[in-house]
Amino acid sequence: MLLTEKDARAICDKLLSYVKADDASVAVTSENYGHLRFAGNAFTTSGARENVSVGVTVWIDKKRGAASTNEIDDESLKATVALAEQLARVSPVDREYLPTLAQQTYKPVNGYADATSNISVTSRAKTINDVITACEKAKVVGAGFHQARGTAGASATKNGNFIYERSSLVSLSTTARTPDGTSSGYFLRNHFDVAKLDTARVANEAIRKALEARNPRVLEPGVYPAILEPQAVADLLSFFAFTFDARNAEEGRSPFSAPGGKTKLGEKIFDERINIYSDPWHPELPGSRAAQGGMPAQKIYLVRNGVLENLVYSRYWAKEKGKEPTPGPVNNILESSQAPVTIDEMIKSMDRGLLLGRFWYIRGVDPRIALQTGLTRDGIWYIEKGKIQYPVKNFRFNQSLIELLAPDNVDLIGKPERVGNSEGQGGNAALLPALKVKKFHFSSQSEAV
Amino acid sequence: MTSRRDFLKTAGVAAGALSLAQLPDWLSGVVAAEEAAANGVDKNALADVALSTARKLGVTYADIRINRYRNESIATRERQVQNVSRSQNFGFGVRVLYKGTWGFASSRDVTPDNVRRITQQAVEIARANSVYQRKRISLVPVEKVVTSWKNAFEKDPFEVSIDDKIQFLLALNQSAMKTQGVSFVSSSMGFVNEQKFYASTDGSRIEQYIVRANPSFNVTAVNRSTGDFQTRSSLGGPQGMGYEYIEKHDWKREAQQAGEEAVMKLKAKPVEPGKYDLVLHPSHLWLTIHESVGHPTELDRALWWEANYAGTSFITPEKLGKLQFASKIVNFVADRTQPAGLATVGYDDEGVPGQRWHLIKDGIFVDWQTTRDLAAMTGQKKSYGCNHGDSWGSISFPRMPNVSLQPGSDNTSLDDLIAGVEKGILIYGDGSYSIDQQRYNFQFGGQVFWEIKNGKRGEMLRDVAYQSRTTDFWNSLDALGGEAGYELGGSFSDGKGEPGQSNAVSHGCPPARFRQTNVLNTARAS
Repeated sequence: MLLTEKDARAICDKLLSYVKADDASVAVTSENYGHLRFAGNAFTTSGARENVSVGVTVWIDKKRGAASTNEIDDESLKATVALAEQLARVSPVDREYLPTLAQQTYKPVNGYADATSNISVTSRAKTINDVITACEKAKVVGAGFHQARGTAGASATKNGNFIYERSSLVSLSTTARTPDGTSSGYFLRNHFDVAKLDTARVANEAIRKALEARNPRVLEPGVYPAILEPQAVADLLSFFAFTFDARNAEEGRSPFSAPGGKTKLGEKIFDERINIYSDPWHPELPGSRAAQGGMPAQKIYLVRNGVLENLVYSRYWAKEKGKEPTPGPVNNILESSQAPVTIDEMIKSMDRGLLLGRFWYIRGVDPRIALQTGLTRDGIWYIEKGKIQYPVKNFRFNQSLIELLAPDNVDLIGKPERVGNSEGQGGNAALLPALKVKKFHFSSQSEAV
Repeated sequence: MTSRRDFLKTAGVAAGALSLAQLPDWLSGVVAAEEAAANGVDKNALADVALSTARKLGVTYADIRINRYRNESIATRERQVQNVSRSQNFGFGVRVLYKGTWGFASSRDVTPDNVRRITQQAVEIARANSVYQRKRISLVPVEKVVTSWKNAFEKDPFEVSIDDKIQFLLALNQSAMKTQGVSFVSSSMGFVNEQKFYASTDGSRIEQYIVRANPSFNVTAVNRSTGDFQTRSSLGGPQGMGYEYIEKHDWKREAQQAGEEAVMKLKAKPVEPGKYDLVLHPSHLWLTIHESVGHPTELDRALWWEANYAGTSFITPEKLGKLQFASKIVNFVADRTQPAGLATVGYDDEGVPGQRWHLIKDGIFVDWQTTRDLAAMTGQKKSYGCNHGDSWGSISFPRMPNVSLQPGSDNTSLDDLIAGVEKGILIYGDGSYSIDQQRYNFQFGGQVFWEIKNGKRGEMLRDVAYQSRTTDFWNSLDALGGEAGYELGGSFSDGKGEPGQSNAVSHGCPPARFRQTNVLNTARAS
């Protein structure tokens, strides 16, 4: 059972009543989680978890200590507060301490569906049976993962702030492989409302990709024009909005740093159609009402019309630099200033290039230019003269994200879709479009399927 | 070994207000009884409730894990402490096999009534899925065991004062900052204590107490006029040891060296892309072993159980005993008994004892990492004990044991390996890493790169990464260091599975030499 606002407030009040420290921030989170996994067209593991966790951070003479537990009887709560205070007493002064916030006013966000949090295990079993049945009919081998989570929790400060929030998320991913293991397709979608998750689409798209990626040809690695489907964009960019840290940039260790100890703030570093922003009230991608330190979140632009409009100032760094702290980001939206272009139109407009559905095992290589390496996976196709010609074998890439979105590299931009990062198993969401780019850098081949 | 009385005394001082329930279960049944009296948690009685409930509901197998996890984390940067925190969580999970279908449920509310309810929920989940099950899961047998076990640490890190740890990290930061040109340093130490109880319908009752340590630091040098920056991370990785690991390794000396090397990297020579012989130090090679040897020899991957996430394996079942994985001098051993190993256990999470076995023998792929269900699927008679759940709330499944490259039989040193190279690169430390979903194609960076010219170490290089194909790479290994150069590296948090779980795992190796590997310049890669 998730905590009600009344229950969560009671726990926060209780924790704060035990605090003897000068300042404190407390939080309680409850979780209902369930999953069902399948592979080889059969059920593998399935489970459920219920948990409640409590966190306490205190400051005594500006010295900080933190402790957490999942035991919420009175004695354990008292012990957790006492432990945080004990740790604070032996710690040096926290030079980045700022008083916790007084009561704030938050505008409601709706990102919770009860049917997601309390998902029926029998209907979930039937949903996955339908996915497996579709795989069997198509003579492919299906594997996949269904998860549903509900969370409800609150945080409060000694200075009087309190916020209670609920959220939910359901995701389904499916991989379809031909029985000989020479072709594979993948599709993933998520939503906060289980009624809006199109599970048949997930299965059908994974199967279609596996069948259409059969008999891939070998293509030489190199620089190719490319169309990235929203999933591929999510695999590269779903966390991008959270990398615009002002302190890193001003300390000279970010792709947004500039020579001479400056930053690129105000410069047009991306294509002029690109906007990257955070909006807690977006109906498809509701975010938390609370940004860093409990500040009420606001809609903020990081990039507007290709210009780096905002770097993100933490409360501490803002104070150091005489700036306002940034009320976000709490989610990640990339959209074009112009009318979106469909993937079919992108293909028709392409003289020669590649269609990419998914990336895998992406890791940072050079933080100065946000250079990432990784691999294509689960379907890649060669396009010539406006038509898909044939599937090709996978590549390793080494690609700078800054250069990917640069003014001379972006060709066309699609309509943003709610997508989840595949390495993150769909447990996060972003609104990202398909992208057609002029150059994407492939450095070697991969035999992997 | 700490006596029970000493332990009670020191735990009381160090843990402050923490409850008696944190006491190590391996100490004795008397302590377990004291604990039961103190907080009402009698693990054996709870196990009886879960297992009898599951049996009544018709399962063919059930287990219950009742676990407590303690974590401590201290993080600093330059002259400041950024975080001091302790966390603990406690709960139980019940896993059942019903009509060949797994079900699992878990909760933080550790009471007899709730254990009964959660067991029923686990069976309900298995039953709902079993209606549509196509391939029934079964288990190979294991002997009943009633025992306790703890890993071999000398100094419980949870008994060392926070102040000592903070002073240690701040002194380390000071060492790193000694070199002119060092701009930033961050350092941290984290400790984990797992207190695990396992009981199953096989009759086993096993208690384990495990401690692990994870110190690390990172130094950054910034050239503000050019906008360039370089980092150098610690070479010493986490270990399955206590606080003695912090005290035995010379972290301050390494931090000072790291500061010097971070500054040197700003002026180092960019590598020219091309083919090079590589001499890889154990602080680097452990990660290449992990990704290219550890993961492809997991049997669940080969059977496509991980197809939707981590991926399958280029090693398919028919390659057992045939694949020339590596050159003939290469032997890889899986070992859950290795001292200081992060994946070292007495028993895995389904009651199978820790074991040691060859995965690659004389260069040939000879065996898999297995669990009881995977072993049954492939007609094997026993499991190698690779089942692990990262929490009471996570269903246990196949995870990697310690996988290590065995040293050569002679006393070959790092210098001997370098002496045999005309044009090459010596690499220290783990850096950027990426490998495909079948573990063929990989790319690894590092921390420090030295040119090797005509058998001698030369200038420092920068922007180095190498790309290769797993079997090409391991078959190009032509020389191994001896036992004196063997070191243990590892990861505190290797991710796998859906939902994702974290596993701590070690990889030991001597330095080794690889011929003609493709090297790229990462600064010119895009």
